Amino acid sequence: MHIFLLCGLVLCSILAILATDLLKAAISLAGASIFLAMTFFELGAAYAGVFEISVVAGLITVLFIATISLTKGEGEVKERRFGRYLLPVFVVGMAVADFLVMRQFLGALPALPAAPEAADLGTVLWSQRTFDLIGQIAVLLAGVFCVLALFRKRSEDE
Amino acid sequence: MSIPFLALPLVLAGIMPLLGKISKRFLPDLVANLTLLFLLGYGIFCARELVLTGPNLLQAALPDMTLNITLTLDSFNILLLLTVALVGLGVTLYSIDYMEHYDGKAIFYALLLIMIAGMNGLILADDLFTMYIFLEAAAIASYGLIAFGRKREELEASLKYLMLSAVATAFLLLSIAVLFGLTGSLKLSAVAAGLAALDAQGAAALCAALFLMAFGLKAALVPFHAWLPDAHSSAPAPISAMLSGVLIKVLGVYTLIRVVLTVFGLSSAIENILMILGIVSILTGAFLALGQNDVKRMLAYSSISQVGYIVLGIGIGTPLGILGGLFHLLNHASAKGLLFLNAGALEHATGTRELDKLGGLGKRMPITAGTSVIGSLAIAGVPPLNGFWSKLIILLALIQAKLYAGALIAALAGILTLWYYLVLQRRAFFGKLNEAWQNVREAPFWMSASSILLGAVCVLVGLGFPFVIQNWIQPAADALTAGQSVLHLPGF
Repeated sequence: MHIFLLCGLVLCSILAILATDLLKAAISLAGASIFLAMTFFELGAAYAGVFEISVVAGLITVLFIATISLTKGEGEVKERRFGRYLLPVFVVGMAVADFLVMRQFLGALPALPAAPEAADLGTVLWSQRTFDLIGQIAVLLAGVFCVLALFRKRSEDE
Repeated sequence: MSIPFLALPLVLAGIMPLLGKISKRFLPDLVANLTLLFLLGYGIFCARELVLTGPNLLQAALPDMTLNITLTLDSFNILLLLTVALVGLGVTLYSIDYMEHYDGKAIFYALLLIMIAGMNGLILADDLFTMYIFLEAAAIASYGLIAFGRKREELEASLKYLMLSAVATAFLLLSIAVLFGLTGSLKLSAVAAGLAALDAQGAAALCAALFLMAFGLKAALVPFHAWLPDAHSSAPAPISAMLSGVLIKVLGVYTLIRVVLTVFGLSSAIENILMILGIVSILTGAFLALGQNDVKRMLAYSSISQVGYIVLGIGIGTPLGILGGLFHLLNHASAKGLLFLNAGALEHATGTRELDKLGGLGKRMPITAGTSVIGSLAIAGVPPLNGFWSKLIILLALIQAKLYAGALIAALAGILTLWYYLVLQRRAFFGKLNEAWQNVREAPFWMSASSILLGAVCVLVGLGFPFVIQNWIQPAADALTAGQSVLHLPGF
């Protein structure tokens, strides 16, 4: 099951990169998110799965599609073919390296010496990882201000 | 004690757009500059406290509520915090005039303050995942700042940096996940203790390799440097100064040093890798800088070379080598920040960065020319400026460690550095004045003031190097090599 989900995730991710039509790319990305969310559920990380489906597969995909529908033109991106040939080769190379290195390595991992720092979501977020919340505020602000900076009205001086 | 370094720029970044609604220029300029001035002054105050009381670990708390926010502050951290504040102040002063022809000054300052908050958070964190989050905050702000002018080359450079940063992030997260799986903790000291107790050398080696690749990308060490020349040359000049001056050092070099030394220890294998990366970066950066016609591109390649010196110094692994590496980190931040600001002043005055179109501008822009000469000679390692002493210490450390080939390469690369900086000065500021620049004027007041500030740092640190080394650099190197003796302070 894990292998099936991970293969689906990788395949959708590759399609999202290779698709020259923006709409197809956005839908492929949503597909990748759904596979990732299912992987999270499969591994017992229910909260991560819910966030992945609701925010990434849901909200972000809607935003992408809404934005694409507002753009002029057909949404077809012209690009060199070089990348289209290079990416599959790169992916295969990475898969081989992954198989040779990580499989052998993960099999040799010793068991956890102690229970990891884990509890229910609320406790982890508000009590154990409070400092991370400040970092996440910084990340969100950075993202919002980047959007504001890139889509601001152009002045006559610029 | 150390929370203002993080909280102040973050809170003010959040309200900066509102200030921009009240006043488009004056209030954002004032608040950004006062913030950086405060951070610099507060950093000096904290450094003095550190000398008196020793390193501390601060647990933040609110009444009736435990906040799991642990901030570490030691002599190594404070050196980085001060470097960020110093270059940041130079950049905000410079931006008062330089950003006049851009719209959205408040947003620019907001992103700059988030970048600073991200770097400060990363410096103060003692937890791998927290470090990652703050690293991302600073990086995301930098993508926006590189693309701030929204010209094609800026957008392309920003996208290239974003893509390569995503690769670095993947390496970083994979390594953090494996370490968490191995040790059950994310705290640097606990991870180190967990790894020491486990028989998992292979896993630890893989994690170390992933960290080296991730931070090598962030520090733009060769062969991970492809993004830097585009990003640093395309960004607005104050952001180029910030990127080359501090961002690559904090996101790359600092995290590399902190994680490697704290978690894995400086084994001979890691030392060798760092020295090889350092030497290859020194040479590659220097040779690529030689052939450049674009001022900012030359400075960007020079940054790769100079970061190589820092990593080489750390990689030697001896107290003297680490001392030299850290000293060069501070010196390069001030001198390279200055040179990027002056490159911006040249572009601001002439509309070009191409050396073959410039020439003779020293007569028209004496402050820019004078401070550029100081910055260039400082980086090239000419006495008595600051860069000379740090390079000398690195060379002495190499000789002391009997690494004569490395010392020879570093010395020869120093001559190369002097060569391309003299070429830069001669082609930009000396010789016959190009007819087109007859009416060129000196850079506006605040741009000149920031150049004078950073130029003065290069001169004063060079002249007062025994004091700087004794009070700032040596304690930082000690904190780094000896681990920190922790003093618990009550919450604020």
